[in-house]
Amino acid sequence: MVRGADPRGPRVTGAAATERGARERILAAAVERIARDGIDEVRIARIAMDAGVSSSLVHYHFETREALLEQALEYSYELAGDVRLGPGGDAVELGSVRRLAAMIDQFLPYPGMLERDWILWVELWLRAVRHPEMRPTAARLYERMRAWFAEAIATGIERGELAPDADPDRTADRLLALADGYGVRVLFGDMEVDHARREIWAAVRDTLALPEQPPPAPLDPANPQG
Amino acid sequence: MSPRPRLDHVRRPELLAAAAAVIRRRGLENARVVDVADEAGTSAPSVLYYFASKAELLKEALTSVEKSFYQDLALELEAIASARDRLLRIVATCSGEGDYDAALWMELWARALSDPELAATRAELDGRWRLTIAEVVRYGQERGEFAAADPEEFAVLLACLLDGLSVQIALRDMEVTPARVRELALKLAERELGCELLEGARC
Repeated sequence: MVRGADPRGPRVTGAAATERGARERILAAAVERIARDGIDEVRIARIAMDAGVSSSLVHYHFETREALLEQALEYSYELAGDVRLGPGGDAVELGSVRRLAAMIDQFLPYPGMLERDWILWVELWLRAVRHPEMRPTAARLYERMRAWFAEAIATGIERGELAPDADPDRTADRLLALADGYGVRVLFGDMEVDHARREIWAAVRDTLALPEQPPPAPLDPANPQG
Repeated sequence: MSPRPRLDHVRRPELLAAAAAVIRRRGLENARVVDVADEAGTSAPSVLYYFASKAELLKEALTSVEKSFYQDLALELEAIASARDRLLRIVATCSGEGDYDAALWMELWARALSDPELAATRAELDGRWRLTIAEVVRYGQERGEFAAADPEEFAVLLACLLDGLSVQIALRDMEVTPARVRELALKLAERELGCELLEGARC
């Protein structure tokens, strides 16, 4: 397609507000496409069509295909991070045991939204391994999740709800790695998500002095308050 | 000495090794047949003489690297006398101390999400990986080195932990150093298998 050939392009770029809206729509469409087709198969023309914009507008916002795909992954994870870090899944009033269980659930690929996030997560790994410039993004996202777990554990210890001698950072590392390792196997259908959550629970149970079994899984783990 | 030019002697294993090197360098999506040919010192048509398509070549390269990793590791473990040292070796392999190729492993896992054939290979290789760990556990239990624990369950647990940590190492996450991976994995194993792994491992 000839760049700028689409007559819709110039008109949509008119107002600044529309531009921001279009940029988000493009990112959201890219996220869906990456999850559906895999990052290598994604075509810009297809993303433009999904977003209801012209290819030239996509090129206007994102100089290269690489730039778009990388920003789409980042966008998805900032978004998922906001959901995960939002008041719903992180309610201190839940008590540390239930809060921790809710956090683990938000890291596992439950069917639907979290499964899509997971496919993108794996694409992000791969992207970051291949493209060193992508690594700071991935490292930052990991750091955020690690800090989130460590904070929840530290708070639990302070409140006397978790083992006083537990190391929040090391335990957060263990939880995060196990969530990735079990999560990807759930995604492949090696095991049920409920099995994964029980195994992860068991692996930190003694360290944190948790009850034998995790509290029941929420109906919608992406939205624990609902 | 063969009178024929080298070109005719290029065979599948060489081409697979060349393809693996190219994938490692350029990533699966950017690997071209001509790169593989260059790497192997041959021409693109002769590469395609041995493989029906570029896709077949790359797929086979990816899986052959993984397969030879497990074969080499199995041989290496067999030569180690104590179960404890075998377990230390497995952990070292994944903590960036060995030559385990995380980039190719990730290519395989990520591509397997959308390719049923690769998904089957991934399942087979993951099964092999877990079996390797489980066998070390059984060996250690026979020798009285490890306490009673379900070898298969422990294998999944350790594999999941190491995989998750491998990702963070591959991403060059500054928080996750090889030493930390080692400590996290060995602590988990110590607790589950009721043995001492960290102490002597430090020297």
